Formats: sequence, C-alpha cells, structure tokens
Amino acid sequence: MKTILTILFASSLITVAGGKEIKLLNVSYDPTRELYQEYNTAFAKYWKAKTGDEVAVSQSHGGSGKQAQSVINGLEGDVVTLALAYDVDAIAKQARLLPADWQKRLPDNSTPYTSTIVFLVRKGNPKQIKDWDDVVKPGVSVVVPNPKTSGGARWAYLAAYAYALETSGHDEAKAKAFITRLYKNVPILDSGARGATITFAQRGIGDVLLAWENEAHLAVKEFGADKFEIVTPPLSILAEPPVAVVDKVAKRHGTTEVAKAYLEYLYSDEGQEIAAKNFYRPRNPAIAEKYAANFTRLKLVTVDQEFGGWAKAQATHFADGGVFDQIYQP
Amino acid sequence: MKLNQLILAAIVGVQFALPALAAEGEATNVTGAAQSGSSPLATVGTAASSADTAEIENLKKEIQALDQKVQNLEQKHELERQAATETNEEQIQELDQKVRILSRQHELDQESAEAAAKTRPQFKLDSSGFTLTSADTNFSISLHGLVQLDSRTYFGDNNVANSGFLLRRARPIITGTVFHDFDFNLTPDFAGTVQILDAYVNYRYQPAFQLLAGKYKPPIGLEALQPDSYLLFNERALVTDLIPNRDVGLELHGDPWGGVVSYAVGIFDGAPDYSSSTANTNFDSDLSYDGRIFLQPWKASDVNLLRGLGFGVGGSYENDGGVNGLTSGYLTAGQQRFFTYNATTIASGRHWRLSPQGYYYNGPLGILGEYAISDQDVRNGAAKADLRNTAWQVSASWILTGEDASYTGVTPRHPFNLHGGGWGAWQVVGRYEELNVDNSAFPTFASSAASASGAHAWSAGLNWYLNRNVRFNASYSHTMFSGYTGPSPAVPAKDEDVFFTRIQLAF
Repeated sequence: MKTILTILFASSLITVAGGKEIKLLNVSYDPTRELYQEYNTAFAKYWKAKTGDEVAVSQSHGGSGKQAQSVINGLEGDVVTLALAYDVDAIAKQARLLPADWQKRLPDNSTPYTSTIVFLVRKGNPKQIKDWDDVVKPGVSVVVPNPKTSGGARWAYLAAYAYALETSGHDEAKAKAFITRLYKNVPILDSGARGATITFAQRGIGDVLLAWENEAHLAVKEFGADKFEIVTPPLSILAEPPVAVVDKVAKRHGTTEVAKAYLEYLYSDEGQEIAAKNFYRPRNPAIAEKYAANFTRLKLVTVDQEFGGWAKAQATHFADGGVFDQIYQP
Repeated sequence: MKLNQLILAAIVGVQFALPALAAEGEATNVTGAAQSGSSPLATVGTAASSADTAEIENLKKEIQALDQKVQNLEQKHELERQAATETNEEQIQELDQKVRILSRQHELDQESAEAAAKTRPQFKLDSSGFTLTSADTNFSISLHGLVQLDSRTYFGDNNVANSGFLLRRARPIITGTVFHDFDFNLTPDFAGTVQILDAYVNYRYQPAFQLLAGKYKPPIGLEALQPDSYLLFNERALVTDLIPNRDVGLELHGDPWGGVVSYAVGIFDGAPDYSSSTANTNFDSDLSYDGRIFLQPWKASDVNLLRGLGFGVGGSYENDGGVNGLTSGYLTAGQQRFFTYNATTIASGRHWRLSPQGYYYNGPLGILGEYAISDQDVRNGAAKADLRNTAWQVSASWILTGEDASYTGVTPRHPFNLHGGGWGAWQVVGRYEELNVDNSAFPTFASSAASASGAHAWSAGLNWYLNRNVRFNASYSHTMFSGYTGPSPAVPAKDEDVFFTRIQLAF
C-alpha cells in the first residue's frame, strides 16, 4: 500500500513538473499574421512562467466574413480575433457558439486595439492622391478587397461613404453616387486585405490601395520606402477589431481558461506594446503616447455615429441586394 | 523628310552658287572695272554688281527663311514624335495594367476554384453504383441495386409446381456514411412481399471493433452471409434452411489483423430456421445469442496455395418459452416445401445452432463447404422432444476463362463486347447437399404423410459474367426425398427436377 501511494505521489509530481501541452486555434482576419506571430510567442512565454504549461497557438487567417462563416460551418477555433463585431455576432447568432453579449466580457467592447483606413500609393504619389475626392477621380485605379468577404474592405467602404456623408451634409444620394464612382475605379476585388496588398504591392496593379493602417506600414517596411508611401486622409473611420472566446469550442477542448487568458493578455502592457509595434493603435494611453510617432492624427468617425451601428450598416450596405450590390458591377 | 532634304540641297546649292556668282561678279566687276576705268562700260559693270548683291541678299533672306522653316519643321516633328511616344507609353502602361489585372484575376479565380473544390461534393458513377461524397469524405451516400429475373422449369412433377418466370429480387440498396464513422444500409425488396430486408447502422470505431445495430443477416451460416448477387446457383443450399435469414439485434464485430480473423457476437430477437421477421419485432420475450468466428490464417502471407483458405464456425442459442416459433418448413432448391411441423407443434425450450464452415479459393478454383445443426426443443401437447436437424453441402466452381474465383464474385478480365471482342467470364459450378430431419420428429411432431424426413440433391450449372454488373446463370438441380409416406401428387412424392435460368443486374 505504501509503495502504491509513493508511486502515485511521485507520478503527480512528475505531472506538475512536466506541465500540460495546450493547443489553441486563433481564427483571425487577414492582415494580423505578423501581429499574432509575435504575440503568440510572448503569450506562450508568459503562460509557461505563470502555470508551467506549454501553449501552442496555431493561426487561421482570411477575410473576416469568410473566417466567421468557417467557424459557423465547423472550424474549431478556440478564439476569434476578427475585423468587426458584426462577424463575431454572426457566429453567436447562427452557430450559438458564444453568448450574444460576448462584447461586454472584455474592456473597450472587446477591442484591445484599433486601426483605421489609409491610402498606400506609389512612391512620389504620381496621381497626387491626398484625400477621398482624389480616389474617385477618373483614371485613378483603386485596389480594395471585396466587402462581401473582407472586414477591412467593409471598413474602407464605410470610411469612403462616411467622408461623402460628412462633405455632402449627409446626403445619401450624393454619398451613393460617390461610392459608385469609387468602385468604378476598382479593377479587381481580392477576398481579403492581404490579397489586396499582394495585388497592389507585388503585382503592381493600381494607383492606390485602401488599406488597414497596419497593413500599409507593413507593406512599406517589407517592400521599401523607396517604392511606396502612406497618405493618411484627413478623415477616416475608427476600425475596432474585436476578440472573443468561442465558448462551446473552448469548453469542448478544455481550453476555456487559457483562451480567456490569451485574450486578456492583449490588454497587458506587453500585449499593447506588441500591437503598437505592429502598427495597431493601442488602447493603453501611455503606450499609445509612446508610439504616437507611428500614427498620424486624423479625424475618426465611428460606425455607430455615421451608420447607426454594424447591424444596420451590414443590412443596408453589405447584405444581398444592399447598396454595394446595387452599385458594383464586376 | 524628302522636303527637308530638298530644302537642304537647295541651301547647299545656293551656298556653292553664291560664291560662284560673286566670283563671276567680281570677275565681271574686275572686267568691268578694267574696262570702266574711265568708260561707260565701267558704269554698266557697277550697276550689274549692285543687282547681284541685291539678289544675293534676297537669296540669303530666303535661305534664312528656309532654314527657319526647317527648324520649325524639325521642332514640330520632334514634338509629334514625343507626343506619339508618350501616347505609346501611356497605351503600353494601360495595356500592362490590363494584363496584370487579368493575370491577377486568373490567380484569384484559381484560388477560389481550389477552395471551392475542397468543399465540393464528389460524384462517382461506375460499376459499383452511384456515390455522392462530401469534400471532407465524412459523409457519403450510395445507391446500388439488385434485380434478378429467374425462370424455373419443373420436369415430371405432375404440375405440383408452376414453371415460369419470376422476379426473384428487386432491391434498391441505399448505403452511406455520416460523420466519418457511422455507416448505414437501407434495403427494401419489392419482389414478392414488399418488405424492409435490411436496415442497420454500423459504428466503425476501428476495423477490429465495430458495433452493428438493426435488421440484417445474423452471423451464423457461410453461404447465408454471402451476398445474394455472388451466389453460384439461383438458390442457396439446403443448409440455409436451418439458418435464420434476417434478424433484429445488436452485435459487436470486427476484422482484426487485416481480416485474418473475423468475429461477430450479438444479441438478437431470434428467428426460426430460414425465416425473417417481417414484423421486425420479437415473436417472444426471449433473445437469441449469436456468434461466429472465421479465420483466414494465410490471407496476408506469401503462401499462395493457402492464401484463399478460410474456415470457422458460427452458432446461436436461445430459449423459446413455449411459443409458435418453429420454422414454417424446409424448401428444396426449386423452393418447394418438403417438410413442415404439425400445426400443433411449438418451440418450447432451448434452440441452438452450430455451423462449422469453410472455403478455399485458388485461381479459377472455388470450393465452399458447411455443415449445420439446428437443435430445437419442441412440444406438442404434453409430448416433448429435443429434435436435432442437420444439413451439409459442398459446392465447387471453376472459371473457364481463367479469372480468380472468390467469395465476393467474379470480375471478368474482358467484359462482353461484341465490337471489342471480349466474351466476359465463364464459370462451371456443381453442388451436393443434404438435409436430414430428426427421426424423433415423426409422427408426434411432424407427419410423414405430409413431409419427407430428408432430402439430398445435386446441381450443376454454367454462369456467364458479361461484366461486373450483368450475369446470366443456367443450372439444373435434381433433389431426392426420403421418409415420405403420403399420397401423390406432392412435393416429396417424386424427385424434383428443375432447370433454372437467371438474368441478374447488380450494381
């Protein structure tokens, strides 16, 4: 009996000393590859130091809408870090994998960082693109992803539409005409933000890319400041990409605790620093101040202010038969 | 360009002409001066010189004007050339962008097609039927079918049996898989009594451990378990008279070690000999415990001679508590009843079966043999008995066209094709079989005036496999009876001689 107890006790010690190996799947939107590559390493180190467990986070990336649909169709993501709240709401509503009030569970409506939409142009800005009016001029070729699949594309669309509303006294007809002119200048629609960056930066198509701010910075960093430059329009949209634990999947995998910690750590100083270094605007004021030079000041309008919230914006503009379907002919 | 050349030539010519004219003029002047020193001729010379000078001036002016024109033309030409170059460059850039856009669109279309292919179901239609499978292969549904059109011609039976055609089997067979590990089968039969023949779900945890539940063939007899489309003859041997046809229950089964061992143990409602439950419920409150083990020890070995050898044993046990659960009778190859229990005889007590069995296949040769015991406690009023009925068979086949014989059918190497010259596969078949009813059944539990106590038969035939799906059989069976004392005409009163044919479509 004594021998058995000794063996059992020794086994438990070995288990504690060895630690568990935990796997998480983060289903994310298209341009966050570099962010989460760095963040996952940092979180794994933090979690190991805290609990002794090994965490291996694998990533899935794609257009935010497509990613949400994949989760609804069965992709077993423990967490989702998507481009817009509407896509996470779709998962909650259609697949019931997390509660409808998921956004209240983390600070700042579950958005640990923000971003916006800027213009990436060729070096020297040959077409002299300074503002949204320049983007809709005839002869300007615009690269932007498909708003049906890409969260970034929806933010870009709404940024342009918001500009048109602001400058026309909120005249919907003029705003629609404006957005029609913009999409007349779009020769090709990628499914996600990263694809659009490839189209513009690698395939040499177009005069301007309507890009996530972080994506624009990464493109300049990767391809060279001698090839591209960033133009920040005076007005753009405040993009708030949310994060959420997919409750039922995490519960099934036994990863609820670590999944929650994974998202909470995005709000830590280290998480916020990593976000800022990757050109996401951190929520933490001190860190935002530290990296202020990376981010141009501009007027940012919100989806709630201009469009009455995402549900209304989605229904009006991006649902089947919405404004985008009315104005865009491939 | 030609104009410019002419102008230049004119200028050059003038450049040469002017000095010449000047020299002439000077000469003239000299001459004139020489002459005019003090004479009227000198005045004339001076006047001529002035005229030349004026002309020269005029010519110079014209040359300058022409020069200016040439310069203007050159500038204009240069501007036009630049404009054309810019236009060409713009056009080239525009075309370049169009090509890039088309190329990128093609890339995106390919990516979309690849992504769509991953989610697109796969459709297959071939000799094994129609199958639709999901992209991730976790779900599939297949439609198969079996249609058998037979003819039976009885000889010398005094019209006891009816010769003619019959639709022996007409079955759509629906199989499939859901969630990767759950297989199902739904097979109705529309020939004769319309019924659900098979309806079951099989959970494949792994090949060695599977759970089968529903209505299907219980794991007892070898030829009984052989699929209907692969039988050597139109009808199974007398042995299957002692084996239940279908039963409803649950079994654990598997094929560990790559099928070297096959096992099945299950619990069922229990069915009488050669019966199926068409009501699909238990006819009594007792259950039957069935099981079978079959070995193919050399299945995966290099010993070719023994690779096709398989042997095993199947059996069942139940305890019927005094209900009418006896067989409705035993049938001949011609499907005529030659034995039945008395109407008042019932099953009462234990009923067990045991069936040692085996086969051997080697190249075109196939041999199948089995023995069956059906041991049943019966009661008729106060009289009780433990009756043991037995049967056995040996069948052999040889494929004349050289294909390999097997338990699961024949695949012709050269399917029948009048245009291509293939004749399918041809197989000769033979069988000997016997069934003996326990003598103790007579006369209390069965009547010799109505039933024979035994039958033995031999059969021979030729099978033509046109292709994997279509087959033609022709065979002859001769059955002899023993123990019958009743009147004629009756089935057991005379030997049964039947000529069979079959056209079969199976997919």
